[in-house]
Amino acid sequence: MTLLAVTGPEVGSLDAMVPLELSDDLREFARASSIEELTKLAREVVLDPSYPTVRAWTRGGRGAVGCFPVYTPQELVHAVGLLPVSLHGGGESVEISHADAALGSFLCSISKSTLELALTARLAPFRAFVFPYICDVSRNLEGIFSRLLPGAVTHMLHLPQNFQSPATVPFLTAEYRRLLAKLEKAGGDPYRPERLAASIELFNQQRARIAELTRTKRNEPGKLTLTESYLIRRLGALLPREVHIQLLDRVRTELGERPNRAKDSIRVLLIGPFCEQPTLDLIDLVEQVGCYIVDDELLQLHRWYDRIEPGDDPLSSLAAAYVESPVDIGVRAAPSRKGEAILRRVEAAQAQGVIFLTAKFCEPALEDVVLYRKALDRQGIPYLHLEFEERSTSYEQTRLQLETFVESILFD
Amino acid sequence: MESAVAAEPKFLASAREQQRRMVEEYYEGLAHAGGPKKPVAYMLVGGNLTEIVRSFGYEVVFPEIVALNCAIKHVSLPNILHAESQGYGLDVCSYVKNDLGLQELGGETPFGRIPPPDLLVCSFSGCYVYVKWWEALAEKYGCPLFMLDVPYMRDDRPQAEDLQYLVSQLNEFIALLEKTTGRSFDLAELRRVLAQSRRAEEGWVDYLDSGRRRPSPIEAYFEAVFYMFPINVLRGTEAAATFYASVNAEVLERIETGRFPVPEEKFRLVVEGVPPYPSYRTFWDFFRKWGAVSVAATYPKVGGLFDRGFLHDPARPLESIAEYSLGAYVNQAWPLRRKLIEEYVRDFSADAVLIHGIKSCRSFTAGQGDLRDWLIHDLGIPTLYLESDHEDPRYFAPAQVKNRMDAFFESLAPRRRTPPVSMGTA
Repeated sequence: MTLLAVTGPEVGSLDAMVPLELSDDLREFARASSIEELTKLAREVVLDPSYPTVRAWTRGGRGAVGCFPVYTPQELVHAVGLLPVSLHGGGESVEISHADAALGSFLCSISKSTLELALTARLAPFRAFVFPYICDVSRNLEGIFSRLLPGAVTHMLHLPQNFQSPATVPFLTAEYRRLLAKLEKAGGDPYRPERLAASIELFNQQRARIAELTRTKRNEPGKLTLTESYLIRRLGALLPREVHIQLLDRVRTELGERPNRAKDSIRVLLIGPFCEQPTLDLIDLVEQVGCYIVDDELLQLHRWYDRIEPGDDPLSSLAAAYVESPVDIGVRAAPSRKGEAILRRVEAAQAQGVIFLTAKFCEPALEDVVLYRKALDRQGIPYLHLEFEERSTSYEQTRLQLETFVESILFD
Repeated sequence: MESAVAAEPKFLASAREQQRRMVEEYYEGLAHAGGPKKPVAYMLVGGNLTEIVRSFGYEVVFPEIVALNCAIKHVSLPNILHAESQGYGLDVCSYVKNDLGLQELGGETPFGRIPPPDLLVCSFSGCYVYVKWWEALAEKYGCPLFMLDVPYMRDDRPQAEDLQYLVSQLNEFIALLEKTTGRSFDLAELRRVLAQSRRAEEGWVDYLDSGRRRPSPIEAYFEAVFYMFPINVLRGTEAAATFYASVNAEVLERIETGRFPVPEEKFRLVVEGVPPYPSYRTFWDFFRKWGAVSVAATYPKVGGLFDRGFLHDPARPLESIAEYSLGAYVNQAWPLRRKLIEEYVRDFSADAVLIHGIKSCRSFTAGQGDLRDWLIHDLGIPTLYLESDHEDPRYFAPAQVKNRMDAFFESLAPRRRTPPVSMGTA
């Protein structure tokens, strides 16, 4: 027996909200005439656990692949004609009714809500799921999916942790071939290097635009809020890349005309939420209390590397880009000492303090925080550590902590 | 029916004594290690490279084993609390907290002083926390860290690309050791050591296999844990190679004399999960009072699935070390873990499965609820799931565990899969 005895959402719960319906060509995103309109639409998409963009895309028979955080080479999925989509759990919208029994008590919300979405058929539009080895929970989740969703293709992607060995890139290239075999089983086209090269070029364009957005947030933080920046980036792995790139171009133009509404806010680095995502209310709150988040670890996918040259062997180039990436977050064996790394990042962002926003039970983030804190203590750099869960609803205590943190810096 | 008073647990008398001496001598040796004369390498149990490291003159510390020794001797909590005072939260692996707390407190234990590392060898085999733990140690001590990245086992057999990757890394590791020690790699010596490892492994497999007999002459979980020490820590030494011959001689004696781990074997169990070390004896008592014996268990395979053919081979030294490192139990994908447990139930004629989930160990535990569901509903195997911690005594609730086990065994009697066996038969 499997747990696939699907039950519908309970009446009266957030789960019961009417799913957002989008056109097959996702023209709603082209019609959004301003950042405000776009983020309003993005908010609806993000809060809808039935993946409206994926339902729209797959309506005509096209396939989509769900990629658990933090990193999947989504260029590869695109290159075989499937839509790569980042899975970021159920957020605040999903009640956990079935997943607890399969997973146990002491695990992060994102693992449970992702399984819950699967067990309640809300991941039905996906043909395949990729779980990268970023932690033991993500890794094990693949084994659970493979049993409970026998009709879907699942793959556990072993992301290497040895970044010194010359054998790592060839290994990861072979690992990507294993993934390609699975994608083909999920209805993907046979692998062709020239198509991957084209996909890499497309993703290069998207990353360049997202990098520009994050630079704007860093250099002129009053131009857009963290919530706006976040929602725009979040769409980047929910929409076809071609649609997102057009959208980013419009955002760039509008931002060029927007004033940098400078406030008396402190510049802060936001560390920790690289996998499970805080609620939108919490993301809002962090800046409402008087912070400018000038660098963050939200949605790492778009910043593993800058530009990739596809070269003669694009598969190997893609693998090399991952291995050589400078990204230093909790789910990647440190290329440098953690303490030094956090101090460099504080300096680069010209941050006045650090907020650690870690998901409850997220061991990679929790263990790094201790090392980061020691380094910050040595340099007298203020920080605040907050834990969150997907279904948090009350933030009174969090607001108080954040306000105290901001005031302690402002009036120091 | 449960017996009123649990009798003392039975060990293989001389093997247990021999094991005790080996442990004492090992920690005694560690207390004098460190520095250029006898450098110290820290290593993890899963997929460890003890043969290579020892061949370069290193003394090896296994912080996981130090942690479990602390827990079983009821001294883990102060270390854990100290780590928590440093910022390690309640949800962090308590092996990690025991070790990092102990390191900060100076490394003194009731069984000897644990020296600081000169080299950190992270065999990333089946547990992501290994990476974080070793990063923290590297940050503290500033010594070199070698990362052996062991691909996750998703197929029945090791894949060529995985082995190639591992062998390349092993060659790089050897080059690092040559550089740090100034010694040359001695392939002949490694072959000799691997031959000793193989003898130990074959003896260990014989010991584990004897759980197939009815009644079982071994306790494959609680008792086997003690005999894991040589296979994981001293593998490659003559002492470990001969140890299992003594163990198996005593197992044979048990069979011949009819002295089995429980006076009357009523239930045969397969046990999945790490033991609750701080309450080890109490937990064992809850089995024994019901005449329950574990005939096979997954935990003794954390160092390697020797019983599934992951054996070292002196004729293929690096290749077989690579294969071995893939074979740590928690480096197996869930479909492989499920298959193994199903085979244990079948091959060892078990009546039920007991799963012990660990609060702070996601590697072992994430998915054990699904395992229970599969065992009960797909295979029809009675299964009990319990949860506590392997290291932190605050999470073991004896009354609750006992109540659940009592209820389980009471209900199991009419559902047992195998007929009761009269004692003295084999």
